Amino acid sequence: MTTLVLGALAVLLAGPVPSLMARWHVLRRTPRAAMLLWQSVALGAVLAAVGAGLSLVTDHAWRQEPSVFGFVVAGVALTLTVIVVGRLLLSGHQVGTTLRALRRRHRRQLDLLSYDGPGARVLEHDVPVAYCVPGMNGARVVVSAGALDRLETGEVEAVLAHERAHLRARHDLVLEAFSVLHRAFPRWVSSEAALAEVQLLAEVLADRAAARVSGAMPLARALVALAEGRAPAAALGASGVAVGGSSAASGSSLVTRVTLLRDVGEHRFQATLLVVAASGVLALPTAFVVVPWFNSLA
Amino acid sequence: MPAAKRRAVARPTSGEPSRQRQASRPSSRLGDLERAVMEVLWSRPEQESCTVREVHAELAGTRDIAYTTVMTVLDRLAKKDVVHQERDGRAYRYRAAASRGSMTAELMRETLTDFGRDSRQSALVAFVEEASADDIAALKQALAELSRVDPADS
Repeated sequence: MTTLVLGALAVLLAGPVPSLMARWHVLRRTPRAAMLLWQSVALGAVLAAVGAGLSLVTDHAWRQEPSVFGFVVAGVALTLTVIVVGRLLLSGHQVGTTLRALRRRHRRQLDLLSYDGPGARVLEHDVPVAYCVPGMNGARVVVSAGALDRLETGEVEAVLAHERAHLRARHDLVLEAFSVLHRAFPRWVSSEAALAEVQLLAEVLADRAAARVSGAMPLARALVALAEGRAPAAALGASGVAVGGSSAASGSSLVTRVTLLRDVGEHRFQATLLVVAASGVLALPTAFVVVPWFNSLA
Repeated sequence: MPAAKRRAVARPTSGEPSRQRQASRPSSRLGDLERAVMEVLWSRPEQESCTVREVHAELAGTRDIAYTTVMTVLDRLAKKDVVHQERDGRAYRYRAAASRGSMTAELMRETLTDFGRDSRQSALVAFVEEASADDIAALKQALAELSRVDPADS
């Protein structure tokens, strides 16, 4: 019984639930609560899958007189569980080391080439870009001279507030976790939709933080100005500066961000509902693992 | 009042926790030094190399710095392959591996490649992603709608 419920929960939380959540755009009106729900759904799926595997093992191999069939089932379940956990650990290691090495290298080059500007490192280059390099104690906010040329003071402030919000909230860690999940299980589960949506939510959260500092309009103008400025960068890509393959949906997420800036309501009811759902999604698999264990003690 | 004002100016990154700022201080001092040394090398005509003594002489004019420190920094930079080290008798001569402009262009190319890369391997967090001409038209439309809703803010 426990195995069945946990197994069903794992399948639901790994497939249909995230794919529905990605399509349910109302969630984006409460980005913080939605982000929480995404994280608990992902964690809940992993918990339920591992719990289902382990309970199958204990059900079939941990009884008074186990049969051969029971041992076979337990063996298969154990193998599958080990594969799931192993893939996650391996993917975590690979994603973590790759990202950290890239960032360290980038930061080193950056420190040689950029100068200390107003609240950010300034890179002497005409292509207008703004970004941050996340890191434990070496985080940097970077703007190019080209971006500073195109933006007015209030717009620069908005951009910097946005990037600092990313660093302060450690959005990079959330994105990294979902990258690990996607790399470990690229198919069969809705990990790609999850990653894309969590990425958008991180941007929406940073946008909101920036709009509180500088107002929505300067932020939106900066978004448009920099997106427009990067269009010649694509042409530059053809003439030597290679720009890697980009996803077709990326541009429309900018439109979504500007549209969402209009929505300043708190939507408390929806937020509360999502937080309750997030707690439930975590509590359910935990309960199903813990309760039988307690019963066996009693 | 002046003390308070100075404090305010010295905190451009007012949003960040102070722990993070303190932790980055020693490494950023080293970064400053490396940048200063690179600037001396970049200021020379192309392919012209300097001895440690020449670099030190130029830096000592503006800051209090030991000869051995300059030597250490140049050695570190040579290990990172940003300066070339060549033997000249008993001393080493150093020159920048590439001009400042070409190093910046290289870094920018890597940055743009990272922005365009499959998102799960992206090391940097970009403010805006790439957008097509259609996207920009839609974006301007959304901006116009936003300014209609929020005219007091503009």
